[in-house]
Amino acid sequence: MPDPLHILIAEDEVLAAMALEDFLTFKGFRVTVAANGVEALERYARGPVHALVTDLRMPRMDGQTLIREIRERDAALPVVVMTGYLTQDSDLTHERWKPLEIFSKPVNPRTICNTLHRMLGLPQEA
Amino acid sequence: MATGLDELLDSSGFIPHGACLLWRPDILMLHVASDILIGLSYFSIPVALTYFVMRRRDVAFGWVALLFALFIIACGTTHFMSVWTLWTPDYVLEGLVKVVTALASLATAAALWWLMPRLLALPSPRELEASNRALALEVATRREMETRYSSFFNNLAEALFIVRVEPDGDFAFEAINPALARATGLDPERLRGKRVGDALGPEVAEAIVPRYTQCRDRGESIDYEETLDLPVGQRVFHTMLVPVKDAAGRVIQILGSGRDVTERKRLQEEVVQTSKLATLGTLAAGMAHEMSQPLNVIRLWTENTLNRLQENLLEPARAEKALKLVIEQTDRMGKLIDHVRTFGRRDGGGMRAFHPANCVQSAVELVRHQYALEDIEIVESSDSAQLPVTGRPLELEQVILNLFSNARDAIVALRATGGKAGRIMVAVSDDPDRQSVVIQVTDDGGGIDPSVLPQIFDPFFTTKEVGKGSGLGLSIGYGIIDGMGGRIEARNVELEGGSRGVRFSITLPSQPVASSDREVSHA
Repeated sequence: MPDPLHILIAEDEVLAAMALEDFLTFKGFRVTVAANGVEALERYARGPVHALVTDLRMPRMDGQTLIREIRERDAALPVVVMTGYLTQDSDLTHERWKPLEIFSKPVNPRTICNTLHRMLGLPQEA
Repeated sequence: MATGLDELLDSSGFIPHGACLLWRPDILMLHVASDILIGLSYFSIPVALTYFVMRRRDVAFGWVALLFALFIIACGTTHFMSVWTLWTPDYVLEGLVKVVTALASLATAAALWWLMPRLLALPSPRELEASNRALALEVATRREMETRYSSFFNNLAEALFIVRVEPDGDFAFEAINPALARATGLDPERLRGKRVGDALGPEVAEAIVPRYTQCRDRGESIDYEETLDLPVGQRVFHTMLVPVKDAAGRVIQILGSGRDVTERKRLQEEVVQTSKLATLGTLAAGMAHEMSQPLNVIRLWTENTLNRLQENLLEPARAEKALKLVIEQTDRMGKLIDHVRTFGRRDGGGMRAFHPANCVQSAVELVRHQYALEDIEIVESSDSAQLPVTGRPLELEQVILNLFSNARDAIVALRATGGKAGRIMVAVSDDPDRQSVVIQVTDDGGGIDPSVLPQIFDPFFTTKEVGKGSGLGLSIGYGIIDGMGGRIEARNVELEGGSRGVRFSITLPSQPVASSDREVSHA
């Protein structure tokens, strides 16, 4: 069995991060949780990360800045955004941030999981 | 030798005075004619004098005129006696007449000198005429003034009234003007002279007599708003009372003016409501975020639990934890919804006493998390605040939220220009000396341009870009604080660490609530 893919979650709401971590771990991923953008960027720098799941509003570097920083390092890293705000007007819908998917909270963890599978080129679950 | 009156008057030893004139008819005629003319004239003068005194009853010192009359009659008599003694030598009788004349002359002369200062003090007719003219002028001026003031009183749109303070301290209406009569539906004629309690009925009197009493006892002007149930319906008046004092400093009258602000109050309340809805609008984005967080947690935990249940991997402890978490999160959402609900409600209720620290606390709770996401910290210190204030708690909370929102905007704007900011300090403290509570909201957002500082409470004044601020927040806040009898001020402050910012200070009077105040509605 190959090494599990590594998902980095950036989310300041601990309970949400815990549940998502639990769900994705259950689905076979290796998951690391960071409470803000700065922490996430530090974690990203330390080892291979295969996908990023991030909130937008976070203390100490928000999601938008985090994504910009990440894109400077890796133009192809799959990014999943979870946000409590309206997303239509967001700059993140622009092509240049792709591969990137945006979901409004409350999010369905199955959808997140399926989206990660698709973006990472893994077989879809039933 | 005994001498009787007859003997005394016996003139047989004398020769008539005519003999001295050698009985020359021409000399005799000269004396007789002159003396008789003098005597007649002298006799007529007192008649004229007496007649004058009798007719002019107001003549000062009339008794002097009578004394003068007696003196001049006596003088006249001596002249007739001179004629008589030309032929009949009754010199003793003549001498007695002269004694009487001498006494009368002496008395008249003495009286005249004695009275001289007072006689000189009597106004002359010319002086009287001048003073009459002055009086006539004064009367004319006063009449003109009276016309002018009564025209003020009768035609001014302001409701005016005069209340007399009775010797027992009670109050009676002296007059009310037509404007007051129109505004209240009261009859000026029926009110005049009546005690307030009898004139207005116990309920209205109960509301206004304490105000009159306050004005009477303090001896100072007071102004206030009152809601009165009048013949024309319930009206809100802004009333001012001015005490009128006598020489001893006792308040004997109260002058009152009142303006019907019912309509203005209604409009004000509508503006407050509109602004509240606008504040609600700006909070909506924040609320959406706040609501999405617990919903997200619930969704993730339930999906997780369902997933494990389907895979037969659910342990009871994990299920219990998940369900408890879900319940906690629904509580969190319930509180948020409650807050939005009370905030959006039209707050038509009466004023009441409350602790402002609680308002500050709930305002902080509403935005703390949202601001933390933007790395803005709200630092509280409200340990010493105990005094209650009077007003509507939700309105005060709205004012404080507005101050937070301005502070946040200032911080974000300063950061956009590369500045370092991110603290909002809020403090509530009692000022026991002045019986007031002071709420301070201080940011480190760089401060306000001193040149616009005086305008910030003006309606529609805003430094924000079009669409970012209505320019109504602070002016509405000003109105709310003013309605609570307090004041709100802003100034730039230097903070420790070299940063600068704005400090808003709200000072609210702490006073027990009077029953009449409860119904007074302020915007």
